[in-house]
Amino acid sequence: MDFRLPESARAVRDGIGEICSHYDMSYWERCEADKRWPEEVWAELAKGGWLGLAVPEEFGGGGQGLLELTVATETLSASGSAGGSAFTYVLTPGFGAMTIARHGSPEQKAGLLPRLAAGEIETCFALTEPDAGSNSLAITTSARLDGSEFVVNGQKIWITGVQRATWMLLVTRTIPAAEARPRTNGLTVLLVNVPEAVAAGTLSYRPIPKMGANTTPSNMVFFDDLRVPARNVVGEVHGGAVVLWDILNPERILLGASALGGAEVALRVGVEYARQREVFGRPIGANQAIAFPLAAVKAKLELARLMLYKAAWLFDRGEPCGTEANIAKLTASQAFWEAADAAFQTHGGMAYSLEYPVARLLADARIGLVAPVTEQLLLNYLATQVLGLPRSF
Amino acid sequence: MNIVVCVKQVPDTATERKLRSDDSTIDRSANGVINELCEYAVEDALKLKEAHGGEVTVLTMGPDQATDAIRKALAMGADKAVHLSDEALHGSDALSTSYALSQALKKIGFDVVILGSESTDARTGMLAAMLAERLGVPQLTLASKIEVDGSAISIHRQTDYGYDKVEATLPAVVSVVEKPDPFKPRYPSFKGIMAAKKKPIEKIGVADAEIDPAQIGLAAAWSVVSDFTAAPPRGKGVVVNDEGDGGTKAAEFLVSKKFI
Repeated sequence: MDFRLPESARAVRDGIGEICSHYDMSYWERCEADKRWPEEVWAELAKGGWLGLAVPEEFGGGGQGLLELTVATETLSASGSAGGSAFTYVLTPGFGAMTIARHGSPEQKAGLLPRLAAGEIETCFALTEPDAGSNSLAITTSARLDGSEFVVNGQKIWITGVQRATWMLLVTRTIPAAEARPRTNGLTVLLVNVPEAVAAGTLSYRPIPKMGANTTPSNMVFFDDLRVPARNVVGEVHGGAVVLWDILNPERILLGASALGGAEVALRVGVEYARQREVFGRPIGANQAIAFPLAAVKAKLELARLMLYKAAWLFDRGEPCGTEANIAKLTASQAFWEAADAAFQTHGGMAYSLEYPVARLLADARIGLVAPVTEQLLLNYLATQVLGLPRSF
Repeated sequence: MNIVVCVKQVPDTATERKLRSDDSTIDRSANGVINELCEYAVEDALKLKEAHGGEVTVLTMGPDQATDAIRKALAMGADKAVHLSDEALHGSDALSTSYALSQALKKIGFDVVILGSESTDARTGMLAAMLAERLGVPQLTLASKIEVDGSAISIHRQTDYGYDKVEATLPAVVSVVEKPDPFKPRYPSFKGIMAAKKKPIEKIGVADAEIDPAQIGLAAAWSVVSDFTAAPPRGKGVVVNDEGDGGTKAAEFLVSKKFI
């Protein structure tokens, strides 16, 4: 058994690590405070080929897979961007590039992948609806074939990155959930040209004010007789579930990697303060009540890292990775939350001051226990799918 | 154009740097990184190649672990490397280093040699001049811009009033200074890092470069470290209370320290 990362993943860690070393915590704090996309880092990532890591070489990419994207997301997050800002990386190299590379038609690949790899265009992913959150199969946004076009009507929520996206991966129902047998049938993934749809007045969106992760706005999105050419179907009509799983498992892994990086940042911040802050004539880190929670976080994040890499490795080999992806997401998100909480307690009252980074980390960490899937549903998956316990629904 | 860029590995300035207790040389056992100004030299070399074609060869003198600095230069885009590494070179001062590098450069051949104007460890800033002298070619030092036209080479050297334009004919030795954006060294790309692992690094020793062992190493050094002490810990600062005259007090402090 070889636990070393392959050369390609080490190159990712070193290369992105070097770019990030020039952008410190204060850079990411300013981006968050100004609700601003990290343009400078993004431009460097594009220039170095880091956005196209999972795009095949024939389309100008790095020819790598999810493991390299996982290490990239972790590195970016651990450099100080933490959970929220690392979402910037997941939207296009993850959702867009990897999905098109796996499931796109030859025309979609040729048209989109080179530009996605170069960072010229960006993508977003639209699944969640106001009445279909955790129960994704219950979505009602419908796509009806009319000649050579689908006509889409419906509403989505918590769709991140619409503002910058040229293309949206939109999950629709071409067979209503009530009529679909099995329930996974009748889903169709469409590529929607966002600027064109906005100009036509058939797609509109409204940002949701939120407590963190403000470098990437999240939105409510409305579709009103949106027309999408039938050639823009990703995968098969009615057969979108296959595409969807190949988005949702990487999403869990990549947001797990983002949480892992966030846990590293929070731990670093907590440990540094525990070393420096002196009370009763000694550094507070000498007290086990302070030290042990930090040490426990270290143990948990290292375990999460192992499972993240394993899940990504399985995905790249085309093997089932649902169990590993869910365990990785669960443990990484918990590690981040516990790290942020430990950092908060270590800082005492100063954690409440926005002059320290702890509050931002806490907000970033908290959303990880809920999005893109709740802790409870991850546990439910393990209980029913892995342990074989009876279902509650 | 045959471009050779000299690259040095130095202890990371962000970490604690030490001298060895046995022979007072710099402890190079840990935290080695490519010297920052060498990255600028690599960048300028790559720009010359992009404009005029040719090949960029990295030349490094240093112990085995200096390979990391070489790989970085290769990842940025240099084509190949020569690593001059020999225990006999340990302790060489600037004079003997310039001799050893000049011998290696004669073997490699060059149209232009580019190097950073100084390293963050020894900080003598003399190597370019010494190298040019050893090689019998013009020196163009402290360049902020390099231009080549046929066999003519010219540089800009920043001055207080603008810049001097210094011209020479090739072959020549150029030392470069730090520059602001957008002239900063490029970051290695993904493909660059992957490709660098496969680029050739030729390892040569003293004998290969026909270096006279009597002119190198600690024993041949003209400069000797007779003694050293650790820098004293930083003392407490002076607090100036502003009672309407804070500016004057701050100025008086700076005058007393001869800063202004």
